[in-house]
Amino acid sequence: MRKTTRKAWALAAGVTSVALLATACSGNAGGDDDETAGGDITLTVATFNEFGYTDEMFARYEEENPGVTIEQKRAATADEARENLNSRLAAGSGTSDIEAVEVDWLPELMQFPDYFEDLSSPDVEGRWLDWKVAQATTEDGKLVGYGTDIGPQGIAYRADLFEAAGLPADREAVAELFGGDSATWEQFFEVGKQYSEGSGGKAFFDSAGAIYQGIINQEEFPYETEDGTVTAVSDGRVKEIYEQVVQASVEDGLSAHYSQWSEDWTNSFQNDGFAVMLAPGWMLGVIEGNAAGVEGWDLADVFPGGAGNWGGSFLTVPSQGANVEEAKKLAAWLTAPEQQIEAFNNKGTFPSQIEAQESEDIQSATNAFFNDAPVGQILSNRSQGVVVPFKGPNYFTIQQAIGNALTEVDVNGADPAAQWETVVGVVEGLG
Amino acid sequence: MSAPSLPYVRQTAGAGAARAAARRRGSGHGSERRPGWVTYLLLTLALAVFVLPIYYAFLLASSDAQTIAQNPIPGLLPEGNFLANVERVLESDIGFWKALTNSVIVATVTAASTVLFSTLAGFSFSKLRFRGRKGLLLFVIATTAVPTQLGIIPLFIVMSQLGWIGQLQAVIVPGLVTAFGVFWMTQYLESALPYELIEAARVDGASMIRTFWSVALPAARPAAVMLGLFTFVASWTNFFWPFIVLGSTNPTLPVALQLLQASYFKDMSLIMAGVVLSTIPLLVLFAVAGRQLVAGIMAGAVKG
Amino acid sequence: MATSTRPPRMRRPAQDPSRAPRRVGFSQTLSRWDVKVSPYLYISPFFLLFGLTGLFPLLYTAYVSVFDWHLLGGQGDFVGFENFAFVFNEPNFWKGLRNTFSIFALSTIPQLMVAVVLAAILDANLRAKTFWRMGVLVPYVVAPVAVALIFGKVFADQSGVANAVLALVGIDPIGWHAQPLPSHIAIATMVNFRWTGYNTLILLAAMQAVPRDLYEAAVIDGAGRVRQFFSITIPQLRPTIIFVVITSTIGGLQIFDEPRMFDQLGQGGPGRQWMTVTMYVYELAFGSQKSFGRAAAVAWVLFIIIVAIGVLNFWLTQRIASDSSATAKARKKVAR
Repeated sequence: MRKTTRKAWALAAGVTSVALLATACSGNAGGDDDETAGGDITLTVATFNEFGYTDEMFARYEEENPGVTIEQKRAATADEARENLNSRLAAGSGTSDIEAVEVDWLPELMQFPDYFEDLSSPDVEGRWLDWKVAQATTEDGKLVGYGTDIGPQGIAYRADLFEAAGLPADREAVAELFGGDSATWEQFFEVGKQYSEGSGGKAFFDSAGAIYQGIINQEEFPYETEDGTVTAVSDGRVKEIYEQVVQASVEDGLSAHYSQWSEDWTNSFQNDGFAVMLAPGWMLGVIEGNAAGVEGWDLADVFPGGAGNWGGSFLTVPSQGANVEEAKKLAAWLTAPEQQIEAFNNKGTFPSQIEAQESEDIQSATNAFFNDAPVGQILSNRSQGVVVPFKGPNYFTIQQAIGNALTEVDVNGADPAAQWETVVGVVEGLG
Repeated sequence: MSAPSLPYVRQTAGAGAARAAARRRGSGHGSERRPGWVTYLLLTLALAVFVLPIYYAFLLASSDAQTIAQNPIPGLLPEGNFLANVERVLESDIGFWKALTNSVIVATVTAASTVLFSTLAGFSFSKLRFRGRKGLLLFVIATTAVPTQLGIIPLFIVMSQLGWIGQLQAVIVPGLVTAFGVFWMTQYLESALPYELIEAARVDGASMIRTFWSVALPAARPAAVMLGLFTFVASWTNFFWPFIVLGSTNPTLPVALQLLQASYFKDMSLIMAGVVLSTIPLLVLFAVAGRQLVAGIMAGAVKG
Repeated sequence: MATSTRPPRMRRPAQDPSRAPRRVGFSQTLSRWDVKVSPYLYISPFFLLFGLTGLFPLLYTAYVSVFDWHLLGGQGDFVGFENFAFVFNEPNFWKGLRNTFSIFALSTIPQLMVAVVLAAILDANLRAKTFWRMGVLVPYVVAPVAVALIFGKVFADQSGVANAVLALVGIDPIGWHAQPLPSHIAIATMVNFRWTGYNTLILLAAMQAVPRDLYEAAVIDGAGRVRQFFSITIPQLRPTIIFVVITSTIGGLQIFDEPRMFDQLGQGGPGRQWMTVTMYVYELAFGSQKSFGRAAAVAWVLFIIIVAIGVLNFWLTQRIASDSSATAKARKKVAR
C-alpha cells in the first residue's frame, strides 16, 4: 500500500517536472524556432475578421525567403484585436511582428507613434491612394502602417425581393432608381418606402447603425477638427444625421432592427430579413457567407450622397518585435498590389493600391454569387471621389457611443432623445 | 469561481472528509425505505435539464449553418455533419492542438504544484510547531476572501515587466498554490495524520523533508487527489486572466474557443463543434474521476 | 463544529529529536536548523506567491488609482481622488453595480432553492446514488465560455430556442438582449446551469450531517415529511446556506466570462444592460478610455464592497454557528 502511494507521488512529481519543462520550452512562443534551427525566424501576423491572406500565400513567401516561417493569428473581432494590441503595446511585449489595425482606431494609436516602426521607404512610394497614406502618416512624416484595403461602397440588394415589391430588379435600373450619379439619402429612403409599400411592410435595410456609418463616413470632419476640438455634439450636424437615421429606421419602419454581427442578424440572411445592404468590398464576402444558398443578391453601382468609404485597414510593425526588419519586408510584400489582388479574389477586400485597382484582374472581376456582377469595376467606380473623413483620437469612442445609441433605439425600442443624451454624456466625459 | 468562506470551511473541510469516510463504513441513514417512482422521475427531469444544453450543443454541432439559421428549434436527432464540423474546427486557424496542449500543460502544472505546495504548507501548519503559526494561518484564511481578479491591472504590469505577456508562465505562476488548497490540506492532515507517525519517523532520524515525504504525503493522498482534480477543472475552464494575458497569440482552450466567431459570418455549427470538442476532455476526466469530485464537494471542497 | 486551531503539540515534547542529547556536532546543528526553518520554508511558497500575485497587485492598484495613468502613455500626474470622483459620476459605473448585484441575486436565490430541493430528493435512500450525484454535477465541467456560447444561441432574441419555445405556448418573444432584466435572467441562467448541481452536493453533505435522532423525534411527534423538511432540515442547513451565498458573492460580484460572451461585442450591451463591474474595469483599462487610473479606482471600490460583505459574512456565520451549537446543546440537555 505504502509503496503504491509512493509510486503515485513519484509519478505526480515526474509529471510536474515534465510539464514544467514543456512550459519552459513552449514558453517563448514564436521565438523558439530561432534557437533550434539557427537563424531561422518566425514572423507572426495578427489580423481580425478576413484579410484574405491564405496559407498558400504565406507558403509562397516562405519559399521565396528561406528561413522565414509565418504564423497568422486572428482575433475574434476588430474590437478585441484593438484591446489586445493596446494591452500588449502597453506591456512592452507580446505583440505580433505584424499587427493589423483598422482605420477607425488607427488615430488613437497615431498619438503614440513611438510604439511603431517607421515604414516609409522609397520602394513603396506611390503605391497607395494618397489619402490612404495620409491616414497612417504622422505630422512629422512617419508612416505607421501600410494600407491593405479600402471600403468603397455600393448597394447590395435582393433582386428577387425588389421584383416582388414591384421595383426594378436589373442592376442598372436599380442604380437609376436610387438616383444614379446624383443619388441622395433622401432618395434612398424614398425607395425604401416604395419597397415597404410594395412588399406589404417588409423591412428595407438591415440596421440603423449601418446606414449611419454610410452617412457619417461622408463627412469631412465628423467628430473632431484637426486641432483636436471635439465638435460631435456642438456643431449639430451629427445630431441631424442621427435624427435622419432614426426617422427612417424607426418611424418609417425601414430598418429590420438588427444589430450588425449579432446572432439574429446572421440568421436573418437565411430568412429574407431585408432587401438592401450598404456594401463595401469586404462586406460581399460576409453576405455570401451568411446567405449561402440564398439566390437573388446583386450589387448596384450607386451610392447615396456621393462616394463613401467604410473601413479598411493597415499593417503595422510594432517596434517591440524581435525581427522588425523582416517584419517590414513581409508587410511590404503582403500589401503589394499582387498580393492584395489575390486577397480581393479570396475575400473581396478592395485594394488601396493604385496599381491593383487599375489592374485587369480587378477591373474584370465578377462575382457569381452576386449574379455575376462586375464587382471589381463597380467598386473601383465607387472609390472615385471618396471624401476622406478626418478621424481624430476620439473617433472610435464617439462612433461606438453613437452606434450603441442607435442600436438601443433601432433594436431595443429606446427613446431617441434619451439615447442622444447618453451620447452627449460620453462626449462630455472624454479626455 | 471564487474562494470559499472560511468559517464554514473550517467546519466542513477535512472534518467533512472524515465524516464522509465514516458514512461510507456505516449504513446510510434514517428512513431506509426506497423512495417511489416519483422521486426518480423528478431526478430524471433534473438531469435532463442539466444535460440538455450539452446535447443541444451537440445537435447544432452535427448540423450546418444554413439549417440552424432556418430552424430555431433543432430536430431532436443529430444530423450527420458532426465529424465534418470537427474537422473544420481542427483545420481552422484557431490553433486547436496548440490550445489543447497549452490547456493540458497549464492545468496539469497548476494542479500538481497546488497539491504539492498545499500539502507542504498544510503539513507545516497542522503538525509543526513554529512561532507565528496561528497568525499566519489566519492570514491564509483571510486571503481567500481577497478578490485577486481585481488586481489584474498591476498583475498585468508585473507580467509585462517580466516579459511574460503571451506566455504560459503568466497563467501558471499565479495558480501555483492557492489559499484554499493550503487550508484544505491543513484541515485534512490535522485529523488524518497521527502525531505518532511523525514522531516515529523523527526518532528514526528522518529529516523534516523526509518525514514529509514518507509520512505526510501518503496520509494526504485522498484529499490531495480531490484538490488536484478541482484545481485541474478550475484552471482548465478559466477564461478571464488567460484571455487578458495570453490573448489569441498563445491561447488556452477557452480563449481559442471564442476565436471561432472570428470570421465575418458566424457559423454556429462550427462554433458548437468547437464547444463540444473542447468539453470532451473534461467529460472524459469526469467519467473517470467524477466519483472523487462528488466526494470532494461533499467533503467540503469549494468552488475552485 | 470542529475546533481546528488547536495548537499542534507533540505528545512527548521531551523526546523532540532536536532536543535529544544524542550526539553533539554538526548533524545536530543541522537537525536543529532543520526543525526551526522547515516550517517556514514549507509555507513560504504560498506567501511568496500571494505577495507577488495578490497583495502587491492590490496595493499597487491603490497606488495607480490616484494617478492619471494611461494604458499607452503610462504614469501621469498625481490626481488624488479624481479618478474615483470621475467614475462615481459615470452612469455606466452605477449600471455596472446594478447589473452585478442583479445578476448575482438572480443567480443565487433561485439556484439555492432548486439546490435545496434537489438535495432533499438526493438525500433519499436512492438506488445508484453515485450516478445521480454525478449526473447533477455534469455541467460543472463545461467551461463558462462554452456555456456562454451555448446559451447565447438559446437566448438569441429572434432566432433563439427560448423564444421559439415561448412562441409555441403562445407567449410573446422576450428581448433577451434588449432590456436589463431579461438579459440578467439569461446570464443568471448560465451561472445557474453550471453551479446548481455543485451547490446541491454541498447542501446534500450538510443534510446528511443532520443528526438522525432529530428526525426520529419528529416522527414520534407525528410530523410529516414536509413538516420535517421545513422545521428540521432547513434550520439545520442555515450555516451551509449562508456559506453558499457568501461563496457565490465573492465569485458572483466579479462575474465576467458569461456577460462578456453574451453578445458579439462584449461590452455588455448597447445600453450597458448587462455590463458588470469587472467588465467595466476591463473596459476602462483596455477599451476606449485606456485609463488604468480609473480602472484601478473601480477595482478598489469593488474590492472594498467585497471585503465588507466578507466581514459581514464572518460575523453572521460566527453568530449563526454559535446559535445553532447552542441549540444543539440545549437539545441534548433536554434529551437527557
